[in-house]
Amino acid sequence: MKKYLITLLILLAAGVLVKGQASDPLVSNCITTAGPGSKYLKDFRVQLGKASTAGDLRYKAQMSLWKNTKYRFSMCNSEDSKGKLILTLKDDANKTVFSSFDQKTGKTYPYIDFTCNKSGIYLLNYDFIDGQQGSGVGVVSMVK
Amino acid sequence: MKGRLFFVLFIAILMSSSCRNSSNKNSEFVFPEADSIPVGEAEKLSTEAIEEISKNITSPVEIANLLQLMAVPYSPDYLASSIDANKQTTAFDKALSLGILGADLGYLNMYEKTGTSIDILSSIRKLAEGIRVGQFFDFETIKRLSLNKSNLDSLLFLSIDSYTQIDKYLRDNDRGQLSSLMIIGVWIEGQYLATQVMKEYPDPMLRDRIGEQKIILNDLIMLASPYCGRDKEFNSLCRNLQEIKDVYRDVRITYTLGEPESVEENGGLVIRQTETSVVEMTNEQLAGIIELTKRIRDKLILNN
Repeated sequence: MKKYLITLLILLAAGVLVKGQASDPLVSNCITTAGPGSKYLKDFRVQLGKASTAGDLRYKAQMSLWKNTKYRFSMCNSEDSKGKLILTLKDDANKTVFSSFDQKTGKTYPYIDFTCNKSGIYLLNYDFIDGQQGSGVGVVSMVK
Repeated sequence: MKGRLFFVLFIAILMSSSCRNSSNKNSEFVFPEADSIPVGEAEKLSTEAIEEISKNITSPVEIANLLQLMAVPYSPDYLASSIDANKQTTAFDKALSLGILGADLGYLNMYEKTGTSIDILSSIRKLAEGIRVGQFFDFETIKRLSLNKSNLDSLLFLSIDSYTQIDKYLRDNDRGQLSSLMIIGVWIEGQYLATQVMKEYPDPMLRDRIGEQKIILNDLIMLASPYCGRDKEFNSLCRNLQEIKDVYRDVRITYTLGEPESVEENGGLVIRQTETSVVEMTNEQLAGIIELTKRIRDKLILNN
């Protein structure tokens, strides 16, 4: 019993220490990759299983973007992620503004710098390439 | 045997409570109509939809960033310094003040005004504890980062993330009215900041940003709508939001079409949007917005 109590105390102490840091290292690392001049705005933690059918990107979130602002959308994957995180941004008319995945060449971009000239509510669509299983985070920052 | 069982249970609880919340979303979004939101519709909003709406509210960090681009100097006069956390008695006042001071914290963080931000942090702590959400605010780390001035990104992340977690917790625990108040407080203070600066430092970009708030006004009203009949305080707040909507009624936002231009740069993709939004707002309309925002915001902070 004593052995368990000691283990518990160690775990509790570790828990307190972890709480003092950012709650998810993947998120804090991804924020760092956005660069020194960037200013964090939001993050979207994406964890998805393998898609049963091919189709629309599965993780959807809304965000307002404002004219005369340059945003950086960074995508980061956890080490054990099978798929690579991609993002497609659509406007409120469901028109695609950009995608971080070029279907023609198969190339993915780890970040997109987007100069917004039309204020509005946008739809962020995240998924892993080919609907693979994966774990990652999308971070939105402002850049100069 | 009992000890082992206790140990296993404890570890399971510890692990489940220490994991960051994450959600897999797989739903379609319906964007609200531009000019009408029946109250009945607002009541039918799902928790997920409300969570999404809360993300659409302009971040005070974005407004402060715009002010910095305009080279507007920092001024403590814009802050809601009159809010005394000890005098907030109702949950309504505490949640609304938490939002207002959250916007001030974003402004202070961006201008790296650490001394004042420590005072505001203390008030935020009291208010958060007052509505039993203090556990989501890592005050010590935020204070340390604030004093160090070394890592603005981490400071912004922790501050914003704390508010996001409070918001989620309140909604998940059937206290959505407090979450709505907090978000409305953030917006009103951000709007106050923008309009007050506009008076002193007129600028076309800031003018547009104020006019463009029309885009999210319906969302804001939708957040409050389910609670308008709840009590006198909520009823008054809903009327204030409706007044703001009315003063924006004739502000027009039009769009010009265009295809985005893209170019590869340093391994990333750079996109320039050629589609634009154009705000049509007269000086009288702007003056009305500035005056009304001040009146409502002052009333809210003086009531406290």
